[in-house]
Amino acid sequence: MWKLIVRRTFLTIPQIIILSVLVFILAQAMPGDALTGLIDPSIDPATIEAMRERLGLNNPWYVQYIDWIKGVAQGDFGQSFRFKMPVSELIGGRIINTLWLSLATLVLTYLIAIPLGITSGRFNDTWLDRAITGYTYVGFAAPLFIFALVMLFIFGFQLSWFPTSGSVAPGTEPGTFAYFMSKLYHLLLPALSMALITTVSTVQYLRSEIIDTKQKDFIVTARAKGASESRVYNRHVLRNSLLPIAAFFGYEITGLIGGTIFIENIFGYPGMGELFLSSISLRDYSVMTALVLLFGLAAIIGALLSDIILSLVDPRIRIK
Amino acid sequence: MAKNNWSKFLFLLMLSFVLILAACSGNEGTSTEGNTSTEEGGGKEADEGTKLENGGMYSIEDFNNVKTNNGEAIEGGNITFGLVSDTVFEGTLNWNFYSGDPDAQILNWFDEGLLTWDENYVYTNDGAATYEVSEDGRTFTFKIGDNVNWHDGKPVTAEDWQFAHEVIGHPDYDGPRYNSDFTNIEGMEDYHSGKADTISGIEVIDEKTLSITYIESTPSLLTGSIWSYPLAKHIFGEMAVADISSSPEVREKPIGFGPFKVESIVPGESVTLVKNEDYWRGEPKLDGVTVKVISSSTVVQELKTGGVDLISDFPVDQFPDNAEMSNVEYLGAVDRAYTYIGFKLGTWDAENNRVSPNPDAKMGDVALRQAMWHAVDNKTVGERFYNGLRWNATTLIPPSHPEFHDENNKGREFDPEAAKKLLDDAGYEDTDGDGFRETPEGEPLEINFISMTGGDIAEPLARYYVQAWETIGLKVNLEMLEFNTFYDRVGNGGKDDPKVDVYQAAWGVGIDVDPSGLYGADALYNFARWENEENERLLKEGRSEKAFDLAYRQEIYNEWQQLMVDEVPVFPTLYRATLSPVNNRVLNFAIGDGTGVYLNELAVSEESPIKAE
Repeated sequence: MWKLIVRRTFLTIPQIIILSVLVFILAQAMPGDALTGLIDPSIDPATIEAMRERLGLNNPWYVQYIDWIKGVAQGDFGQSFRFKMPVSELIGGRIINTLWLSLATLVLTYLIAIPLGITSGRFNDTWLDRAITGYTYVGFAAPLFIFALVMLFIFGFQLSWFPTSGSVAPGTEPGTFAYFMSKLYHLLLPALSMALITTVSTVQYLRSEIIDTKQKDFIVTARAKGASESRVYNRHVLRNSLLPIAAFFGYEITGLIGGTIFIENIFGYPGMGELFLSSISLRDYSVMTALVLLFGLAAIIGALLSDIILSLVDPRIRIK
Repeated sequence: MAKNNWSKFLFLLMLSFVLILAACSGNEGTSTEGNTSTEEGGGKEADEGTKLENGGMYSIEDFNNVKTNNGEAIEGGNITFGLVSDTVFEGTLNWNFYSGDPDAQILNWFDEGLLTWDENYVYTNDGAATYEVSEDGRTFTFKIGDNVNWHDGKPVTAEDWQFAHEVIGHPDYDGPRYNSDFTNIEGMEDYHSGKADTISGIEVIDEKTLSITYIESTPSLLTGSIWSYPLAKHIFGEMAVADISSSPEVREKPIGFGPFKVESIVPGESVTLVKNEDYWRGEPKLDGVTVKVISSSTVVQELKTGGVDLISDFPVDQFPDNAEMSNVEYLGAVDRAYTYIGFKLGTWDAENNRVSPNPDAKMGDVALRQAMWHAVDNKTVGERFYNGLRWNATTLIPPSHPEFHDENNKGREFDPEAAKKLLDDAGYEDTDGDGFRETPEGEPLEINFISMTGGDIAEPLARYYVQAWETIGLKVNLEMLEFNTFYDRVGNGGKDDPKVDVYQAAWGVGIDVDPSGLYGADALYNFARWENEENERLLKEGRSEKAFDLAYRQEIYNEWQQLMVDEVPVFPTLYRATLSPVNNRVLNFAIGDGTGVYLNELAVSEESPIKAE
């Protein structure tokens, strides 16, 4: 077991290095830099040129890369040009928001997926099942950002049940109970919007897994032994069907981080996704590369996590 | 079996279509959401298409810039200010360091300049400081009011003002403010290069009196070229200059002397402010203000539901659909900006820092440029694409500067026949019968035109211009570019792309009318790379001591506007309106300059915002 984890971890190191080089080269290939946007006759072009020189933007990419990687190795991602503060500090402030949002989404996703999947799998080909699969098809088809806009419009503006932007009510004292509740209240609608869409694949997996399992021989055996129907489903079918879902968990995390980019923009929720998009459009390289690296890292770790869980629950696929 | 495979294949095919579609829509999402609202980026262009409903035509003249007051002001009250931005605010909350407009919108509430200006952008003596000019026009003596105090109760002093200059002029300063306004101060360059420890031209006379001596006296000094934002020395004095912009005193507990005080900040999303009872103009009527960031896609909903009372920037293209919103009043003003089309006439000489015109440039013939202006109908463009909220531009000084905009100058009016005649006379004729004109030398003429993407109108608009030029027989190739690429190729870094002949862009203009930063021979932003003796003379005269005489300055700039109409290195296409919806409960509010309405008088007539019916 440990052997597998160590081996997989070693495998991720070259992946991360290649990712960082790629990210850096692609960022350099983009036209313009952080100072291109400062086209303003009241700002002296010489001042801009001096800033460019000081930020090292005139150096060739490999010099910039080495400077950057040296800092990264020491945990220093550089200075955000736009925010004029250390990137690590900036991301640190945002990552909490994104983590909370992802966590809430994850919980909601499973809260929705498990009952729906079980119902749908147990009573397959009934009207209830058709209604649930119908919902999953709609979920597959609906683009996340359109769905989120509709949710925002209906529950945020029309019914005004939820706040429409931000992560916390202005002026709330951090650390108090009211602050915590306000945070929760603000992330409920975005998390729900995302969960309703991302849950559909899990529902489908669970459904087909249950339909598959309930025809297995050991289920027939359990029934023959006189186990009640609820015991058959709760003890035998469900446990065996949840394995692939558990294994999918790692990938789910990766998907969530990608998904929050849209959600955060629509709900004006200041997390990493929002930061990512705005740093691309404003060419705030240091922030952008740090974020891509972080997203990449999350993807790699997610895959690693999935492999580990899978090998834990299914010893057959352990790598020798 | 075979049938089974076939249906599998079909399924796969469909699946791949779905994936492709999903990928496409995904991209769309990023591009619209990721737009920044830089002026030049055209980010404010329409999101919804343009539809011309019957009578859906508006004119800036129908809008007032001062809110009509309905009802009586109540005691106290709170309002919400919506900061419309698709990117969060940076949080560099100090006038001496900020660089983005969102930060400036927040700064306006709690800090201000020591000098105020009137509707012609000339400094007045109604501000927190008064000024006197010496005989030779070079030395300014400022007196800060005795009741002007920082939020922490300490007085705003002459030393604070001097300190602001010392920080901006310091070699370690990391903001964008150091420019010709500062180098024009005596001794500034010596200080900046480290040769002197102090700036010789700035002298603290007593606690509240400061004098600044400038090298050159120019009327521009009176219109925005004096740095009037002090920096609290008792707070920042001990810090290293390079550390100030990231210090908590700028980012978390910013200080000013404006009508409101910052109470708390949620980074990137909101700021809560309470009134500053000690404000020098008098205690504000409101108890507090909340500033929160809202996305441009939800502005209208926020306004309708009373989520915000005031906003920083209304997307004008959403106006026609929401003109009847019952709970707001729309205020309007002429934007200090114009859209223009420029012709590349040379390159940038980086060594000598000046333009290097190319006499053989493709667009070098003035008749060709004049004809291209005559060929476009900007009146219709404004009506069709912008419902009249942008309109035909005539000269390069927009009507936002009423003193200097020459109303009698009609520019070049839409007249395709005149355009054709100009081209015929200049020898541009279709010699090989392909429907397009050739150069006088008989070479084929293909003009490369670039324009910026952003919004739904950008491309149809650019296509319209191509068509208009086609009707007078010019072959124009259009390329749509993203903001950064566009300015790279136009020559933002001094490396002009020789393949670009014509480009469409926009300028926001400063409060000072002097256009030499955009059209002087030594201006990097003179993207046309055009040089002209008469132009240099007029620009110089406009800044001279003689130009302190308003009538003389007007005459000079009228001549300059006419020169640009004759020479056409660039031509203006559209002027624009800014609109600002304000909730009906808000009293004593105005947009624009020199209205004499100040934020401490802002009040509300009801406890909570009025909602739309």
